[in-house]
Amino acid sequence: MGEILNKIYDMTAIGAIVEDPRFLIMYALAFVLLYLGIKKEFEPLLLVPIAFGVLIANFPGGGMGVLGADGEGLVHYMKDGVMVAKNVYEMSLPEIAHDLGIMNLIYYALIKSGLLPPIIFMGVGALTDFGPMLRNLKLAIFGAGAQFGIFAVLLVASQFFTLQEAGSLAIIGGADGPTAIFTTLKLAPHLLAPIAIAAYSYMALVPVIIPLVVKLTCSKKELMINMKEQDKLYPSKTEFKNMRALKIIFPIAVTTIVAIIVPDAVSLVGMLMFGNLIKEIGANTSRLFETASNGIMNAATIFLGLSVGATMTVDAFLNWQTLGIVAGGFLAFGFSIFGGILLVKLMNLFSKKKINPLIGATGLSAVPMASRVANDIALKYDPKNHVLNYCMSSNVAGVIGSAVAAGILISFLG
Amino acid sequence: MNLILLQATVAELSNWDKFTEALLLMTIGMLTVFTVLLIIIALGTLLIKTVNKFFPEEVKPVAKAAAAVQAVDQNIQEAINKAIMAISGGKKQAQKIEKI
Repeated sequence: MGEILNKIYDMTAIGAIVEDPRFLIMYALAFVLLYLGIKKEFEPLLLVPIAFGVLIANFPGGGMGVLGADGEGLVHYMKDGVMVAKNVYEMSLPEIAHDLGIMNLIYYALIKSGLLPPIIFMGVGALTDFGPMLRNLKLAIFGAGAQFGIFAVLLVASQFFTLQEAGSLAIIGGADGPTAIFTTLKLAPHLLAPIAIAAYSYMALVPVIIPLVVKLTCSKKELMINMKEQDKLYPSKTEFKNMRALKIIFPIAVTTIVAIIVPDAVSLVGMLMFGNLIKEIGANTSRLFETASNGIMNAATIFLGLSVGATMTVDAFLNWQTLGIVAGGFLAFGFSIFGGILLVKLMNLFSKKKINPLIGATGLSAVPMASRVANDIALKYDPKNHVLNYCMSSNVAGVIGSAVAAGILISFLG
Repeated sequence: MNLILLQATVAELSNWDKFTEALLLMTIGMLTVFTVLLIIIALGTLLIKTVNKFFPEEVKPVAKAAAAVQAVDQNIQEAINKAIMAISGGKKQAQKIEKI
């Protein structure tokens, strides 16, 4: 009887959890992320798969945790009771699935190969409307100001990490999950787990972080600047005689220009603009648009979320380097928001037409959540001050800005 | 140029070297991002002007379409009025008919 009970005990994960209670911290982390995603509705489409990935990756014996390869590409795992080390890049996909489990198959085939981030960018492009940006073209410059956090944190992090690691950490300031993953895969793949988690967690916490930075850096008077009133006082001379044609030509032209200036950003910007193009063409490419924005985007998000979450195993996550990344990522995020606000303040010094600093704060890539949050803040100060369309201009420009910043980091550090 | 060092084994760089490289990268990076977005703004402005000049949207014959809708409405209105008069023995007539 006792022997049977012992076997049952060995079959469960209880023994391993008792032996290494750090697993409990990971479960707590997964539950907190699930709570934020489900109850607080912070980016649930991303946070729920990531959190669930964290949960299922941390059950000893479950085989759902992603095994990170070391600098030489070696993964260490138990096979038939013996510890083996194999070069994961020389293993076939069926072998990875058989020896390391399906989560590693998904991770190495879709994430580590760099496939999913551009695919997700295509979906983001299909869901993005460049109309608000084209109508308020000058505001797009704040999409550049809000990349300040990336390079500011690169400067600080270079003292604690290698330049490649610092670059990967700093890209969190772009507030773009796929861009962070893409850059990290190129520069410091061993840090993918904490960087992806930090990037997505802070993106989910946009409704908390933007109000915090805005509160610390903006006055009530500045936040009450009404953009529509400013437009009436200083009306724009630009008229649009064919918005549809403009929206079709725009992604083609931007791709061409960015490809010439920063070729390393093409895989992200090019796919973003392709997704947008098939949306704007309309009925003739509607089937492609629907597939890119629904089927492919949703499938990619599920696989990305689950496998990124599954990289957060006890050994990969619970260390001082991760804590440094979490802290550095927060700084990058905060500095980026501040960079956008600072640029608005500078421009307001020299311009008659005043701009609400919230439009600078949304120069991040987190579309459209950052704009929605900024709009809510503006409405608190003045119920008639709807800044959503203005914020969308800098917000959409931020997607391009962060992809360009990533291209620069990859180009110089990769 | 210092940037050549970035391609080298950066792990061997001292903290000061890494700081100067990061500072240089910050300058280049911010300048490039600003340049790209300024070019996109200029490109957008140019595209708006070009599209306005060469591809202005055709003005649809809205007036004719509206008139056609009006004609249909009148027919319906007459039919409704005839029905009301038939029921009320010619005593009543609809004064206002609106689509809900």
